[in-house]
Amino acid sequence: MIVSVGPASFVLPRRTLLVTLALGIVLLAAMIAAISIGTLAVPPLDVVRALLTGGTDYDLVVRELRWPRVVLGAACGAAFGLGGALIQSVARNPLSSPDVIGVTQGAGLAATIALTSGLAYELIAPAAMAGGLLAAVVVFAFGARTGFAANRFVLAGVAVAFALRAGIEVVMSSAETIDALRAQIWLIGSLNGRGYEEAGAIGLVLLIALPLLLWAARALRTSALDDDTARALGARPAARRLAVGALGVVLAAAATAQVGAVDFVALVAPQVARRLSRAERPPLAASALAGAALVVLADLAARMLLAPTQLPVGVLTAGIGGPYLVYLLIRGRR
Amino acid sequence: MRLAGQDLVVGYDDRTVIDGLSVEIPSGQLTVIIGPNACGKSTLLRALGRLLKPRGGSVLLDGELLHELPPRQVAQRLGVLPQSPLVPEGVTVADLVARGRQPHQRWWQQWSPADQEAVKTALADADIVELADRPVEALSGGQRQRVWIAMALAQQTEALLLDEPTTFLDVAHQVEVLRLMRRLQQGGRTVVAVLHELNQAARYADHVIAMKDGRIVAAGPPADVITAPLITDVFALDCTVIPCPVTATPLVIPNP
Repeated sequence: MIVSVGPASFVLPRRTLLVTLALGIVLLAAMIAAISIGTLAVPPLDVVRALLTGGTDYDLVVRELRWPRVVLGAACGAAFGLGGALIQSVARNPLSSPDVIGVTQGAGLAATIALTSGLAYELIAPAAMAGGLLAAVVVFAFGARTGFAANRFVLAGVAVAFALRAGIEVVMSSAETIDALRAQIWLIGSLNGRGYEEAGAIGLVLLIALPLLLWAARALRTSALDDDTARALGARPAARRLAVGALGVVLAAAATAQVGAVDFVALVAPQVARRLSRAERPPLAASALAGAALVVLADLAARMLLAPTQLPVGVLTAGIGGPYLVYLLIRGRR
Repeated sequence: MRLAGQDLVVGYDDRTVIDGLSVEIPSGQLTVIIGPNACGKSTLLRALGRLLKPRGGSVLLDGELLHELPPRQVAQRLGVLPQSPLVPEGVTVADLVARGRQPHQRWWQQWSPADQEAVKTALADADIVELADRPVEALSGGQRQRVWIAMALAQQTEALLLDEPTTFLDVAHQVEVLRLMRRLQQGGRTVVAVLHELNQAARYADHVIAMKDGRIVAAGPPADVITAPLITDVFALDCTVIPCPVTATPLVIPNP
């Protein structure tokens, strides 16, 4: 479908548009369900009323207790979904995502060091962010040696991720038991006891990234072509891989720093969006919405499965992501 | 449209393939580059098409340094089709051909009537109108090759460089692609192709460039270049060259 406004014109594949709308509705329904379901059940209509106008019996539960957590889930899910979509597009590989190429592990190692060395609590998120970005720099540096060839980039990432995971083990085993336990809890991403503050930090990064995402959406139009063909069409594949990849890494690192390692969302959400819209690469808006809905639903399940015990959402997403990864491997790349 | 290389030094990583080569591509003609495997013919084509940055020397496009022009601008003037490009998953023919419009589009103007027209013409010129809605993955080798050529045609460039466009095609499809190249040249374009089949080169080319070990051994009309002594030297192939009974162009026959 072609949308034109005066001299401006944009191409929107109809199916992608429909999928994006549908995922938006799914996200909205998931958010209402996540607020509605709990130890105290709130009727969905009252959820909407409490959020929009207030003045219901459930205002406290809805607005103070559950809404911030749902917003955080949606924000970090959107950031993971976008980060994964960007990295998968430039790497031309559905298995490459921030949790596979070392960003999550870098953040994890930095957070583990911070938690076990008694760093102030406020500094843990910035340290994790820095760790994730540093890991990405190492991966990019390896990639630069081969002109950012798509497959090398992913291999370098996997190698760095393994090394970092080993680093986490080393730090943990040499730390005090109580510190190691705190680090362990951080490493499995969770929305427990988190809310507006963390959501705000992720939201700020998303806001700053928005204009860059508009640019990326266009730059990615030739990303499914091989580098030579893209170059023949006037694109700069290496520069694009670096810039778009960096944007994806920043988004994923920002989310990881706030909620810990919510594994597989960045891997699965873009692929779900891509398969639904039958596109050659993950559509960005749909990936963000799929990621957001995935985290909100996974967190709801994590809260309810063993209620009143609350599982960390990272356990759930890993539980969904593992089998999905196996499915992808079995199905092959067609 | 003038395309030329001066004192080119081109290579990959630690290997220099071409060392000090100068070449002139005659404008408005169909030029074919021939030579044995690993003689540097694809490397030369890639350097001329801005896919590979030369280490030394320069490529000139209408007197301007090719590698210093903005990539988008080059892509509006020079179309390049690399060897066996990767087919993106689930893309239709029309969608892939439309990618050729990329250098003419802006972020705020991603589709115009000119784009529509160019894609339509490209599909017709490559004779694949009836394939427009098929997924590229489902096509045969010959059809795919015509789709890629159509993508380059949609770019609407004055010059078109093709790297081994007939490889992996059966003889009927090879001839189809060669005829298409001929039609494009007759339509006013400058066409350059790397080919392996000497007799096809002799029949369809206006200008033949013969390469060996990264150097140009001879360049000129087919009748002047494709001779028994030259082919024997360049390909180390003992052969006889006779005039083709159909077209009178040189016909290379390996000696038994």
